Amino acid sequence: MSAFRSAFWAELLKARRSRLFLLTLVALSIVPVTGGLFMFILQDPGRALAMGLITAKAQMIAGTADWPTFFQVILLGIAIGGAIVFAFIATWVFGREFADRTAKELLALPVQRHTIVAAKFALIAIWILTVILVVFVIALAVGMVVDLPGWSAQLALSSLGSLMSVAVLTYLLIPAVALVASAGRGYLPPLAWAVLTIVLAQIAGITGWGGWFPWYVPALFASLGEPRLQAVPLHSYVVVLVAFIAGAAGTLAWWRSADHTR
Amino acid sequence: MSGTYAIETTGLSKAYGRVLAVDSVSLQVVPGEIYGFVGLNGAGKTTTIRALLGMIRPTAGSVRMLGHAVTPGARGPWHRVGHLVEKPAAYPELTVRENLEIARRLHAVSSAHAVSRVVERMGLTSEADRRAGVLSTGNLQRLALARALLHEPELLILDEPANGLDPAGVVEIRQLLVALARDQGVTVFMSSHILPEVGRLATRVGIIHKGRLLEEFDARRLEEVQALRLEVETRDLRAAAAVLTEAGYAVSWQSGEGEIVLREPRAVNAPDEVATLLVNKGTAPMRLAVVHEDLEAHFLRLTGGTQ
Repeated sequence: MSAFRSAFWAELLKARRSRLFLLTLVALSIVPVTGGLFMFILQDPGRALAMGLITAKAQMIAGTADWPTFFQVILLGIAIGGAIVFAFIATWVFGREFADRTAKELLALPVQRHTIVAAKFALIAIWILTVILVVFVIALAVGMVVDLPGWSAQLALSSLGSLMSVAVLTYLLIPAVALVASAGRGYLPPLAWAVLTIVLAQIAGITGWGGWFPWYVPALFASLGEPRLQAVPLHSYVVVLVAFIAGAAGTLAWWRSADHTR
Repeated sequence: MSGTYAIETTGLSKAYGRVLAVDSVSLQVVPGEIYGFVGLNGAGKTTTIRALLGMIRPTAGSVRMLGHAVTPGARGPWHRVGHLVEKPAAYPELTVRENLEIARRLHAVSSAHAVSRVVERMGLTSEADRRAGVLSTGNLQRLALARALLHEPELLILDEPANGLDPAGVVEIRQLLVALARDQGVTVFMSSHILPEVGRLATRVGIIHKGRLLEEFDARRLEEVQALRLEVETRDLRAAAAVLTEAGYAVSWQSGEGEIVLREPRAVNAPDEVATLLVNKGTAPMRLAVVHEDLEAHFLRLTGGTQ
């Protein structure tokens, strides 16, 4: 446990000193702010037109300006935006060791390599959790400022639960990014991987096979109505879990056994 | 004999595809000695060091370090080993002190003063709170050495430790390593491509070329193994070569080269006779020097003239 604590402390220090933490917060904060703007327009398109927010009085989005719709917009935004932003986090956490050539300092240590990898995954989990909580708090503030109707504490709690579920589903896909960052020894391969999975997820969704494609499952979860956990088919959870196990085992095996020549 | 050596490799080989980077290297490093591992760039020094540290999986052979078999990813005696591999690296957004604090925790060094001690020892006090990303190459090398020394290891594996240091820094590090070996019995395994530099420091020297350990010798024999040669420059090299050949010297000279080289003891031990001969024949030397062959020439001789 002490070795893990040391490794986690090191990862936390690196993250704290990086600008990326703030950057990821800002990037995903755009979701509730934009969602709030949509709600504001939806409340009264005439007012939005007068304020110059839109150029034509039109029903821009389907739905009504209320808390349930607002939370749904945020959930979808996080399901899509999270896939990109969380992949950036994993890319940095793993890829930077190769870009900065510091990986070689993590290989011949009393702290074993799998502990270092576990500490990195733990950091990513805490990072994502923090970002989601901040996004939720911003969403509450934005919703109150826009003065949306239909608030209830139960709705807020279940929306937070859905947000967390989307975050967990997206997190389970992160080890694959970590593996590509490690084996690709840098930033570009994992980012290319993230883009590829997003594109393939779109294709899978359009062709009706989204439920079988792990990278579509968070968006599938977000797009369904309550109760979402039950609405998503079991095989979708299974493919996400398989992707997680394969990615995590691959990353651990790579750090343990690959030739580290950088 | 296993267990009596600080480092022992047996038939260590590493191939990348068809390229054999290290070829059947068997070496033993005795505790307390400074082993100079010398070779040209690309000779296989860094690959050997990475194999010693379990960073790459050998294609064949084995490594034992401080009595432990080394295999990638397995527990090794790493709390007793300090290392510096290839170019120095550090987290650029962290300060020198923070970089070392990470190393302190990962090495489970309990003393919180360990970082300050090593910062002072490596002359980094004025840089301690600067970000590593803005350090000069020399100070980055000092940081990497500080990280290697932080946990007071009994075995140091250093890849080109003098890289990037200014001449004063080179002397300082040399003195530090000698003191560590002499006063604390630390074993040092260091690579270099500069044979004379290693000669000033090492107690034993191993020469690696094209992945093969060509020879090992006691550093006190360094000058013996480096052959001497007499270099001669005259205004008319062709005429001088003819004179020397006529006098029975084996002349090494080709048209286009700026000097004549004589390697036989008769010439090397009596350059005055060569000078007298050339003066008497009207081809007085402009320069006459007995020099040790450089590492490259030494390799050429060892490998039969093929690089």
